[in-house]
Amino acid sequence: MAMHQPLAQEVTAPAPKLGRAIVVTSGKGGVGKTTTTANLGTALAQRGAKVALVDADVGLRNLDIVLGLESRVKYHVLDVLEDKVSLDEALVPDKHSETLVLLAAAQAREKDEVDTEKMRALMQRLREHYDYVLIDCPAGIELGFKNAIVGADEAIVVCTPEVSAVRDVDRVVGLLGNRFKPQLIINRLRPQLVKKGKMLSVEDVNAILRLPLLGVIADEPEIIITTNKGEPLALRHDSETANAYHAIAARIAGEDVAAPAPELKESLIDKLGSFFGGKRA
Amino acid sequence: MAGRRIVVTSGKGGVGKTTTTANLGAALAKRGMRVVLVDADIGLRNLDLVLGLEKRIVFDLVEVAEGRCQLRQALIKDKRFESLAILPAAQTRDKDAITETQFEAIVAQAAEQADYVLIDCPAGIEGGFRNAVAGAKEAIVVTTPEVSAIRDADRVVGKLNDRGLPMRLIVNRLRPEMVRTGDMLSVEDVCEILAIELLGIIPDDAEVIDTTNRGEPIVLDPNARLGVIYDKIARRLEGEMVPFTSFDAQGFFGKLFGALKAG
Repeated sequence: MAMHQPLAQEVTAPAPKLGRAIVVTSGKGGVGKTTTTANLGTALAQRGAKVALVDADVGLRNLDIVLGLESRVKYHVLDVLEDKVSLDEALVPDKHSETLVLLAAAQAREKDEVDTEKMRALMQRLREHYDYVLIDCPAGIELGFKNAIVGADEAIVVCTPEVSAVRDVDRVVGLLGNRFKPQLIINRLRPQLVKKGKMLSVEDVNAILRLPLLGVIADEPEIIITTNKGEPLALRHDSETANAYHAIAARIAGEDVAAPAPELKESLIDKLGSFFGGKRA
Repeated sequence: MAGRRIVVTSGKGGVGKTTTTANLGAALAKRGMRVVLVDADIGLRNLDLVLGLEKRIVFDLVEVAEGRCQLRQALIKDKRFESLAILPAAQTRDKDAITETQFEAIVAQAAEQADYVLIDCPAGIEGGFRNAVAGAKEAIVVTTPEVSAIRDADRVVGKLNDRGLPMRLIVNRLRPEMVRTGDMLSVEDVCEILAIELLGIIPDDAEVIDTTNRGEPIVLDPNARLGVIYDKIARRLEGEMVPFTSFDAQGFFGKLFGALKAG
């Protein structure tokens, strides 16, 4: 009841609690930004959080495909920025998770058509209505990157255990600076290759990047399959890789979840077998 | 006669442009061709790493454009292949540090002394893409058999068409066993969607990750099956009729194909 509200609260009139805007970025393309965005968004929504996913890859959008929503997209982010439709009209409700929505990128437009200040304001509006706004950043460090990070206040960087990806991520972390508190997801790890000394290990990657580790995802065909089908793997709870996404979502939500995934344990055992074998540079 | 100027592009990142550029360049050089590889990914260069030449960089593409050095000073010769050289991108600059006209002029100059200039295009379709394409007379489009990669490739094919560039397709990272189970698009499916001529099919091979990390193109290994495949692609570029390797992949028009059409 209103009369029970302490007066002080009315006087200070606190702003509505803002959700968190997190950009998912990497520098290098094809390391799994879009797949990670779709799966983390799904996993967070499965926990009951209200989640908006924003595809910032104007001209080369794919988040709609990975979510299986490509035939439901009517409007896109540029329509909203240019006041052609309201934000509500442009948000596509997810077909699997009730509390998840997608704001698609424009496919037939160019990245330099995005007004950076309007993009920042739009992300702010989304934060007023959603607990999490996950922004799927395009590859590269050009305008598309700048517009993707402008409205975010945190960053998740996705890296594969490859020297070229590590170098690109290192460059992006440098460009992000301190403001975004970047956290790392290592994607597409193949424990068998690490064991043979033919792939960088989690420790090798993070010896260079030195970022807080949010999780490790194994390279599994089921990710390609679910991505092609438009049914994010995180809808399931019966696979190790799906559970790795759920663990990362829990960690994002602030839970103190222990060791990410069985893959990581296995690769730690691998490390014992070839203690100095995997290091490259 | 000036050499051919071919951009290796894809739209989507991480499909294997840089690995393809390095290995195709090495395969052409092994066949005695004079080859210059140009890294157009200013700010996120990687071609030097894939060829293991990162410690030998002195000058870069942007410094050539700014007239701070000669092209020949910036070219790094690959000691393993006498006739292979790379022009590295600048790492600490932005893509707009160079104009399309400058880029075109540098590539034209490189082609005067080479049989092939292969341009490693950055991901995306922004300024870096426009520069890379401005220097080219032909294009190789690289894609993987994934719905998102094909959609991006399709967008790039449209842009290359607008510029009138002849183009051919490389389907990279094919997993025949996944095609058989209907979990991956077949080469036939990909070709049907993109409707451009096929130049090569490269199977997914874990060895590539290792050789790329070590900076040794896989074509250096005479026993590697991918070495044979890159050599075949090089011969096709040279105009030879070389049959495609069969990966026992049947054409499979499953629900994946339907999903893509909807997009």
